Amino acid sequence: MTVHSLIAKQLSAGYGDAEILHQLDLAVPPGKITVIVGANACGKSTLLRALSRLLPPTTGHVLLDGKSIHRTPPRELARTLGLLPQSPIAPEGITVADLVSRGRHPHQGLFSRWSRKDDEAVAGALTATKTEDLAERPVDELSGGQRQRVWIAMALAQQTEILLLDEPTTFLDISHQVEVLDLLTDLNHDRGTTVVMVLHDLNLAARYADHLVAMTEGRVHVSGRPEEVLTEENVRQVFGLESRIIADPTSGRPMMLPIGRHRMTTSQDFTENRP
Amino acid sequence: MLSPTLHLIVDGRRRRARRHLAVIAVLLVLIVVIFALTLSLGQSFTPPGDVLRVLLGENVQGATFTVGQLRLPRAVLSIIAGLSFGLGGVAFQIMLRNPLASPDIIGISSGASAAAVFAIVVLSMKGPAVSVFAVIAGLGVALMVYGLSSKNGAAGTRLILVGIGVSAMLESFIAYVLSQAPAWNLQEAIRWLTGSVNGAQLGQAAPLLVALIVFGGLLLSRSRDLEALRLGDDTASALGVRVSATRVMIIVAAVGMIASATAVTGPIAFVAFLSGPIAARIVGNSGSLLIPSALIGATLVLAGDYAGQFLLPSRYPVGVVTGALGAPYLIFLIVRVNRTGGSL
Repeated sequence: MTVHSLIAKQLSAGYGDAEILHQLDLAVPPGKITVIVGANACGKSTLLRALSRLLPPTTGHVLLDGKSIHRTPPRELARTLGLLPQSPIAPEGITVADLVSRGRHPHQGLFSRWSRKDDEAVAGALTATKTEDLAERPVDELSGGQRQRVWIAMALAQQTEILLLDEPTTFLDISHQVEVLDLLTDLNHDRGTTVVMVLHDLNLAARYADHLVAMTEGRVHVSGRPEEVLTEENVRQVFGLESRIIADPTSGRPMMLPIGRHRMTTSQDFTENRP
Repeated sequence: MLSPTLHLIVDGRRRRARRHLAVIAVLLVLIVVIFALTLSLGQSFTPPGDVLRVLLGENVQGATFTVGQLRLPRAVLSIIAGLSFGLGGVAFQIMLRNPLASPDIIGISSGASAAAVFAIVVLSMKGPAVSVFAVIAGLGVALMVYGLSSKNGAAGTRLILVGIGVSAMLESFIAYVLSQAPAWNLQEAIRWLTGSVNGAQLGQAAPLLVALIVFGGLLLSRSRDLEALRLGDDTASALGVRVSATRVMIIVAAVGMIASATAVTGPIAFVAFLSGPIAARIVGNSGSLLIPSALIGATLVLAGDYAGQFLLPSRYPVGVVTGALGAPYLIFLIVRVNRTGGSL
């Protein structure tokens, strides 16, 4: 598998007159899991949209292997770079297998017929997401966790080496959040897929990320290994929140405990455990 | 050796493809049957043998005029117009992911209709010129509705509401022009208000057929992109669809088809609106709705015109019949969409 590089250079983008991203620089480490975090409205989703051609830059570039993604034919780009938006729409009554097979769209030309390779890609995606038993079920009858696995299966059927996901765990309960993140980690380990996702939960972000990116006001505030990024100082600057960082006893990754105005005992107990 | 999952997928896909073909075949047979019925049984009965001989160009005493001059043009025009309405309508509904976003609800049919009435009554235009005028007006209305409602890129409910407003305005314009045309007879007026294939001539069918082939071919060639758009603009774009370009092409093709048909038959009420959802009900999730919806459109116009002529106590133009079917469905949809947010 070739390793692709995805880089944003001096990237500015926004909607209408409102510029959301301001000359942002970002290099996505190939073959790793990158998680983007930040306060509401800091431009996380906008960054993901700009990285995936959904939003044209006003200045700057997004470069895939050194070439601007806006100069690459969309279909060709969609064979390398996949995106799962925050709220994709499932047509009424569509079955799981049918939906997942839509992921093959960029691999098909105007006249090329559906091939065995397409069937295999769909089967592989269903197996990887453990949704093969749901194949003939209508998507609208599934639970939230199942549905999210099916959407990820569709993105897998697209067989891109880079996969962007906008808050893939929203609306899921905690067990399904972990399940989805485990699934994406499997994908990263087994297929070497570069994963870039926006997550809200800082602790899950720190646990699953190889590379953590914290954004404020349309810029990258800090990025690096979770240990370097998730610090009390950075949480204060990025979220305006006092916190304690301790080592997560189950993973050894940093874990953030927010400090509010109520229900606080002495903070001494925590400082002893600080990494 | 196929893995069980692969087997499951291949089977499922083949089953869907078979079902899709079966639906298309059944609809085709249905159209042929109704077509044959309209040719042989009207005010009088013409034996099928005579009908066939007339179609082959023979001169049959007592049948050549009834079948060749009255029934055949009417049936042919019904089919072509129905195909155009059904295909153009469902393209809009799929593209905007809302059954209410049909060209006859959002003012495009009224636009074409208003232009045609204006061209005929005020400008004294005739034939293909009227069609061209109607297509241009239909496109203009489509762009206007789209422009007025696409602030911040969100074109959904707002587009439908703007369209309904524009449509109401255009319909009062049509009524005004008709009221100013003293020589205008009532039957012609009804054509522009509800749609009719009365007085059809075979000569009208040819340009309509050309429009259907050109615009319909364009639409069908984008069928896969249109399917991808059903997953939402973002997902479609992530799958490599040029969303804006595809949308423009679909609008041009669908409006071209609808407006050409409207210029000849008037806006046959609700056919564009009804065909897609009926097709969706029959096709289920077995495949693209485009061709089934076109065939449903043809069935509706053909059967509606026949019912309006012979099955009801007095004679009605086809638009009255399809309108009577469509209006309750519209109310049902609005109630349901309000409750569930529904999609096609």
